[in-house]
Amino acid sequence: MSTIASAATPHAGTRLPSRLAEAATTPIPFLRLLKVELRKLVDTRAGRWLLITIGALTLVVIGILLFTGKPNEGKGFGDFIAGTVGPQAVLLPILGILTVTSEWSQRTGLVTFTLEPRRLRVGLAKFLAALLVGFAAIIVGVAFAAVGTGLGALVRGSNPSWALSAGAFFGMFLAQAVGIAMGVGFGMLLRNTPGAIVAYFFLPTLWSIVSSISFMKTAGEWLDTNKTLAPVFDGSMSGEQWAHFLVSTLVWAVLPLAVGMWRMTRAEVKSA
Amino acid sequence: MITVNQLTKRYGQHAAVDAVTFDAKPGRVTGFLGPNGAGKSTCMRMMCGLTPPTSGTATILGRSYADLPNPGRHVGVLLDAQAQHAGRTGREILTLGALTLGLPRTRVDELLEVVGLTQVEAKRRLRDYSLGMRQRLGIAHALLGDPQVLVLDEPANGLDPAGIRWMRSLLRGFADQGGTVLLSSHLLHEIQVIADDLVVIGRGRIVAEGAKDDLLAAAGTTVRSTDNARLAKALQDNGIDVTQGFGSLSVQVTPERVGRIALEHQIVLTELGSTSSTGLEEMFLQLTAADAREGAAA
Repeated sequence: MSTIASAATPHAGTRLPSRLAEAATTPIPFLRLLKVELRKLVDTRAGRWLLITIGALTLVVIGILLFTGKPNEGKGFGDFIAGTVGPQAVLLPILGILTVTSEWSQRTGLVTFTLEPRRLRVGLAKFLAALLVGFAAIIVGVAFAAVGTGLGALVRGSNPSWALSAGAFFGMFLAQAVGIAMGVGFGMLLRNTPGAIVAYFFLPTLWSIVSSISFMKTAGEWLDTNKTLAPVFDGSMSGEQWAHFLVSTLVWAVLPLAVGMWRMTRAEVKSA
Repeated sequence: MITVNQLTKRYGQHAAVDAVTFDAKPGRVTGFLGPNGAGKSTCMRMMCGLTPPTSGTATILGRSYADLPNPGRHVGVLLDAQAQHAGRTGREILTLGALTLGLPRTRVDELLEVVGLTQVEAKRRLRDYSLGMRQRLGIAHALLGDPQVLVLDEPANGLDPAGIRWMRSLLRGFADQGGTVLLSSHLLHEIQVIADDLVVIGRGRIVAEGAKDDLLAAAGTTVRSTDNARLAKALQDNGIDVTQGFGSLSVQVTPERVGRIALEHQIVLTELGSTSSTGLEEMFLQLTAADAREGAAA
């Protein structure tokens, strides 16, 4: 009997998932995409180690500032903050690169863009997620710097200045945001992790080399992000420096982001 | 319901998919069959909005894929079980899917149970999964949003016989609930057992399409007897073309007709049946012979 029954209903015994109440007719809200992209930045070892490395390098820099030099030299809050900026400026853009390129290198794009075919929204969620994590890293860096400054007074007997100009504080966020935007943009343009990392570090630096040739000097002033971003970090921007900053941002961050997003919405997503 | 109309994808001069037209109907399992490189995956990627078609359209539930709101709640897609981050755990992969679709976390546990992945296995990273486990995870991912349509590319790949049997009954159950299933395979026997309808594709073009039973009926009848020569003559006298096989005869009429003629001439039959058991494979090789890479050898 039982064999007959199972022959009549071949799926007897195989469980199907329960039916969900309502058929979804509302699109995926952007906040949900953002939440998912934030989670994807930290739910792999690669992502977690990148963040741990940023934190660890920041601590190392603070340790070096704390225990080297004379007790009252370079021990101010602003000095410590300036120290934390370096490792973050190098590593945060890589975070931006990875959030995009891993969709291709790990081929997860096949799933990501199937669940949300409006790829521009995914791209924006990725950019915003990288920015948010980057800003969180900066704030942690500031906290580390505060601890370093306090320890300087305690351990080294420094008499630190806690002064911090608003310009330098917000300039730090602005400059790091530009770096992250460059990372995301290069990632979207090249869709290949090593390629994007090399291009990110090499291309703007190329202008440093090019601009050392005398007649290319002006081009360097406008396009070498190493030069144009420095005054942003210091928070001491003249009108001309703002112009340099805006032009270099346009060329190295806004343009790659725009073209990269456009390319990403058109690219064929393949598994192999 | 999937409707594919004149779907075409060209890479330069080469047409990977060439004016493909077919429907996958609700309540039925449609097998998408073809040799490697025939264009099955490209076709499926176009249906899911991952590859822009050169021309033609594909709609799912009456809309183009990109116009489906929260498509994961309507269409379950598994295009490549390997295409997941190797460093994520199985549970994390399903959790990301559930988060995106706006489903509760309990759905993840439910789907793990449905596809037979244990809690311990779910905590392992994908790089430590066998291909069979990846397929189960991929099917779980496709089923997360309680879709009405399933698009599965080679889902039986890497599954053991028990796994294939499980998947077969799962998909049958899904179709019996009114769902639409499109699954591709080059595993002919697997498709033959599970599919209601067949779409056979070779070098980007549809070479056969229709209900499996109709296609197989066209494959004809195989018969063996104690006296093949006399049977062949009897059949030919009735105006039936006979093809000689290895100790058997093939004809393009029903087994019943052959049986009646044999009875009339008092010939003992030792075997009589539609060619279906091997039919699909024969048909598949025949239809795609001109298109397959092994074409010359076949």
